Amino acid sequence: MAGLTPTLIAFALLLAITAYSTAGGADFGAGIWDLLAGNSARGREARALIDHAMAPVWEVNNVWLVLAIVLCWTGFPPLFQAAFASLYPLFTLALIGLILRGAFFAFRHIADDPRAHRAADLVFGISSVLTPFFFAASLGAIASGRVSAGEPSESVWSASFNSMSVAFGLVSLAATAFSGASFLVGDARRYEAPAMIDYFRRRAIAAALILIAIGSGALVTIGIEAPSLFRSMLAGPGLPFALLTMVLTPLVAVLVWRRVYRWYRVLTVAAVGSMVFAWGIAQSPYLLPGQLTISQAIGPFSTQVLLLLVVAALLLVIVPSMGLLYYLDQRSELESP
Amino acid sequence: MTSALWLASEPALLPSRIQMAFTLAYHVILVPLGVALPSLTLLMEGIGLVRKDAVALKIARRWSVVMAVQFAVGAVTGTILSFEFGILWPRMMGRFGSAFGLGFAIEGLAFFMEAIFIGIYLYGWRRLRPRTHFLLGLALPPAGLLGAFGVLSSHAWMNTPGGVTLDAGKVVDVDVVAALFTRALGYEFWHFVIAIYMAAGFTVASIYAVAWLRGRRDHYQRLAFAVPFTVAAVLTPVQLVVGDLSARALVQDQPAKFAAMEVTWQTRDHNPEVIGGWIDGSGQVHLGIAVPALDSVLVGYSADAVVPGLTSFAADARPSIVEVNITHLAFDVMVGLGSAGAALAAYYLWVLLRRRRLPDSIWFYRLAALAGAGCYIAVEAGWVTTEVGRQPWIVYGVMRVSDAVTMAPAAFVWTSLSFLVVVYALIAYFFVSLLLRLAARWKREDALETSAPEEGAPYGPRPQRFPEAGEAGS
Repeated sequence: MAGLTPTLIAFALLLAITAYSTAGGADFGAGIWDLLAGNSARGREARALIDHAMAPVWEVNNVWLVLAIVLCWTGFPPLFQAAFASLYPLFTLALIGLILRGAFFAFRHIADDPRAHRAADLVFGISSVLTPFFFAASLGAIASGRVSAGEPSESVWSASFNSMSVAFGLVSLAATAFSGASFLVGDARRYEAPAMIDYFRRRAIAAALILIAIGSGALVTIGIEAPSLFRSMLAGPGLPFALLTMVLTPLVAVLVWRRVYRWYRVLTVAAVGSMVFAWGIAQSPYLLPGQLTISQAIGPFSTQVLLLLVVAALLLVIVPSMGLLYYLDQRSELESP
Repeated sequence: MTSALWLASEPALLPSRIQMAFTLAYHVILVPLGVALPSLTLLMEGIGLVRKDAVALKIARRWSVVMAVQFAVGAVTGTILSFEFGILWPRMMGRFGSAFGLGFAIEGLAFFMEAIFIGIYLYGWRRLRPRTHFLLGLALPPAGLLGAFGVLSSHAWMNTPGGVTLDAGKVVDVDVVAALFTRALGYEFWHFVIAIYMAAGFTVASIYAVAWLRGRRDHYQRLAFAVPFTVAAVLTPVQLVVGDLSARALVQDQPAKFAAMEVTWQTRDHNPEVIGGWIDGSGQVHLGIAVPALDSVLVGYSADAVVPGLTSFAADARPSIVEVNITHLAFDVMVGLGSAGAALAAYYLWVLLRRRRLPDSIWFYRLAALAGAGCYIAVEAGWVTTEVGRQPWIVYGVMRVSDAVTMAPAAFVWTSLSFLVVVYALIAYFFVSLLLRLAARWKREDALETSAPEEGAPYGPRPQRFPEAGEAGS
């Protein structure tokens, strides 16, 4: 029992990170497409669709982020301290993106002046790039082994900014753009905007191709910088998930290309989710590669029990209530005025 | 090495404290409406359902939009706060995360429930039967209270740490129940929960007090004023009792904080209650009004009761003179505003019970219009009292703030602080203009009924129609 609970808590942490990467990713991805939409007539139409699709879930994804951070500091205090002591520049930049994004998403709804509106669009778009990039970069920095347990052993800058953190950051940008486009295809279909279906369909395919290219580049970087992580990703416990993401990403592109609008959103989530899993499972049992394992970092047993109770309560409460929310959202289509 | 240079640079203690204080003070503004407004909204909805009052339902529906907008802002500022624990105080979290963090784990669960049920509540106005909608909404107040419990449990732990077994300063075991329910939680929880219900009630009512002053005297105005104001007025006397119990408990639990609140220099009996004024480094109190022996009487019901003084603590284990004065004045502001609120509440309840009607004096409505702001100042002052009064400790008697602070260079934290000040000011501006827009829209809609208020609000349902590209954002 004592060996199982730390693993379960680490797994819950990985799930929270995965949920943020997939649900939050689709949201950030929409922001990236907003940034790239330009100011043409079609750009304005795309932006209107993005706005429309995002409005109801504004910032709700923060719950996953808060869950991840709470599991980390209560469940694995030494990991939390080490990560923040070494990587505070990355977390600060990600937070700057987070707060600017929330503020300017609201602002563009109240800006009357077209120039102020354009400026708000720009800040919103740029912040949608900052946050996923720097959060993922912090995972890359941890995976690189440059974050040491206890006090930092190397300079904060070299721990934060290196080829691994940049590689993880770029992968996350491609992945969020991919899931953003895929979900926007769904929204365009829902609002019966045929021009927009095609617009985001082409972008989903392009993003899938870019993701495959950047993902391969990142894999090479991992091979050079963190060989043991590379081995367990491709010849160890991470392999099934690595394979899954390699199969599912092109599969989604093919489905969307052939206009088969079934399962593509679920498969998008699965593709991005298995990418996160490929890293997380491969790195386990290490929280900090080569330095800190799950069992070394875990807090006292009573704390573990409370955390598991919280996670169980979450699943029991959240799943049915999310189902209800989804049901209410879908019913709006049947009940058009 | 750049890192050597960095270590040699100025420690980031001062900017880190300012940044934490600033972001917390900001977030505290959002808490009363976040936790208590759902209850007021449900109460209004309940009145609407029982009395079949369409106006009450309309008010509830509009309040639910304000609730969602402010919850969205609170979600962002709250997320920033949780990251700041890592960015600014990593060594506290590394050492005590497994005990201090427990409350936040519960708060995380509550945050989840609130986010989802606010969504359900907003979606449900149009798509659920009224009774079902009301019953599902009943999940919101307990979720808010659970969240408040979590945060206050963690905060109380910093004031009266307990439930941990230390070995050479490291936490080796945690008694979950003892760490969640430390001594300070009992009074902190009730004091704060009543405070935020009062603040929400007085604030919402103050808006309709202004409407009264501007000449609006219809059923809508009366109902939207009376319901929140009555809730706040009934709670105010309770708060006087709970506040008094809290202050008295501090004599045992955090004597240095209590000494700072009352500017008591030497431990003594017949201790006077000093109102206003300040203390200097030699223990002299200037310009305060001293009521002889009152402090001793309040603490021990007798003039002979001994009250702890600041000098009974080592100079480096008690708040500095500046901190003592901040604590004292903040405490006096809180108690003064609370007493003023109690007087206003007493007058209101007297008129309500004796004359069976709402007050109609212009001075009452002028004061009621100020009561909202007064409550917020009182909440902030109370928070300053408990935080500044705990200095120099981050965990009372166990860990100093200076031992918890980040190794980041001061320049880094000053930069992030300046940035946050600018962005938070922008957010405040956006937040207020959004609310003003909503108010203007509702005024227009009162003339001609159009779309549902909750459409397009954060967490609210999508508008039924996809707008044309040109009119996006309008």
